[in-house]
Amino acid sequence: MINIKEKLTEQNLLKYKSYGKKGADILFALFRYMILLTVGYIVLYPLLSMIVTSIQSLDSMRESIRMWIPTEFAIKDNYTLAIDVMKYGKSLGVTLLYMMVPAVLQIATCAIAAYGFARFDFKGKGILTALLFITILVPDIMIVIPRMVSYTRLDFLGILGLLDKLTGIDLRPNIINTVWAMYLPALFGAGVRSGILIYIYIQFFKGLPKELEEAAWVDGANPLRAFISIAIPSSGVVILTVAVFSLIWHWNEIVNSSMFLSGKMPLSVQIKYFSKNMSAILTDHGNRDYNSVAIKNSACILFIAPMLVFYMIVQRWFIESIDRVGITG
Amino acid sequence: MKKVKKNRGIEELKSSYGRMFVLPWFIGVILFFLVPFIETVIFSFSSIKINVGEISTTFVGLENYDYILNQDPNYTKYLSGAMTTFLYSLPIIIFLSLFLALLLNQKFAGRLLFRAIYFAPVIIATGEVIKLLFGLDASSGATMGVSESLTSNMIDANDITSLLGLSGEIGEFFTRTIGRIFDLVWNCGIQIVLFIAGLQSVPRHLYEVSKVEGATKWEEFWFITFPMLGRVTLLVSMFTMIELIVAERGNKIVSNALTSMNSGIYDRTSAELFFYFMVSCLFIGVFIFLYNRFLLKRWE
Repeated sequence: MINIKEKLTEQNLLKYKSYGKKGADILFALFRYMILLTVGYIVLYPLLSMIVTSIQSLDSMRESIRMWIPTEFAIKDNYTLAIDVMKYGKSLGVTLLYMMVPAVLQIATCAIAAYGFARFDFKGKGILTALLFITILVPDIMIVIPRMVSYTRLDFLGILGLLDKLTGIDLRPNIINTVWAMYLPALFGAGVRSGILIYIYIQFFKGLPKELEEAAWVDGANPLRAFISIAIPSSGVVILTVAVFSLIWHWNEIVNSSMFLSGKMPLSVQIKYFSKNMSAILTDHGNRDYNSVAIKNSACILFIAPMLVFYMIVQRWFIESIDRVGITG
Repeated sequence: MKKVKKNRGIEELKSSYGRMFVLPWFIGVILFFLVPFIETVIFSFSSIKINVGEISTTFVGLENYDYILNQDPNYTKYLSGAMTTFLYSLPIIIFLSLFLALLLNQKFAGRLLFRAIYFAPVIIATGEVIKLLFGLDASSGATMGVSESLTSNMIDANDITSLLGLSGEIGEFFTRTIGRIFDLVWNCGIQIVLFIAGLQSVPRHLYEVSKVEGATKWEEFWFITFPMLGRVTLLVSMFTMIELIVAERGNKIVSNALTSMNSGIYDRTSAELFFYFMVSCLFIGVFIFLYNRFLLKRWE
């Protein structure tokens, strides 16, 4: 074994010593950076453009030659107006309470379902797996109206409806514009794009060694206990991955939130109706000198900023850990 | 005999535990997915009248489908547009993200920074943000696609073509093509990350062996990396197909559906979406069949 390794390094050294190889390496490195920088520019362009535009005044924008260098700043004007239009503080609170909490709930509930799929065999598993794939493939918009109708009179498995028919007492609650419109599906692992999250978990749990948990079962721990104290602690990596996806998707969620939370207006819905709200407020101010393009850009920055900060904090572990997730089978 | 029986007992216990784990999800899917889904399918075969808080349906057979396929001037156009986009985007996104993942997987200064940046479009270039930035949001009638309008801001192809003395149409064509390429790049975030994960899981010793045997980098890629990525590529393809089908961005059927739902046309929209879903399933089914038949089988 050692011999082979020594030979390998010798060979490598010989290869790398030759000048031609070195030249090619440098050329390749240049080529690599060129491509990566070009693509990096494309990738970051929306963000850079948003930042630069959002801090400029109207006059500064008109000097289109110096696109990246603002001549006159209007940071305060732009951002205060954007905050006003979006009712930022309130909407942020709504997003946190109505969207981020279910996102976190989903991280847990999807793990439970996926563990059942990955670790156990039971009758009807094939059909359930097929069902899982169908949930992944159906766009939310397709089922949003029937859900809307059922949410206005939430009927748990027909029991309350039966009660209504028998006694005339209608106990069916209307959960539109309440937290439950988002919490209930998430609690049952059927929230925003939960199918994909479950799928990621399944792939990971399948790759996890079974022996430890089986030993725990033999020692008398029930599978739930084995799941919580053995499988979960060794799944930090995949939980982080799922958390990033879940939080980002919930943050940007628009179909469900614009329907079920129309009276609450989380940030994503505020962004959707921003132009309309902005023109109303600008007319109120009666001032035509505002830079509406810059205000829109400020709003976008304000919208993506929390997620961007979140991503910057976790990206070190996220990017490193994705190497080890093993979701790739 | 006794042992076998005992084993069967354990198996049964295990399967009941399995059901226990899956049960909450199953209830959720029935309540919040399957029932609404079936109702949508029923809607698509019905004519709908909306009273206060109630929806009354009358069965009309294939009338809605007849309308959307034969009378609606836009639906078939949008459908074929969506499927064309689907067909050309899928291979380009896969190869582009594989290529970028290969570059990012090498050891060089700043690779972690680049990896972090390349995932950023998932956060930055989301549908609503880009719509707002380019006036494509709810209040205005959209004329251009999202990607085209963003690119025309980024690079003014008309300037270049007029400089070269070409006609405006060519400039427009360039803007559109470049726009699509950029849009595809923004769609690569998750795929790149998945491919990097896949590349990391290729056993190191295979490369060592190939080095001993004197294989070139090119051979190494075709005979080790590419075949070993078979399963990842399938996962990435699944991800990409789902994104392309479900995402509102650049997909007129899904984005128009929200508008027409808001204006109360549930029956026809349900038919449009259900038909779209069936067609997408067909495409995905064919893709997975071909993939398993011709690629995975050959490698395994």
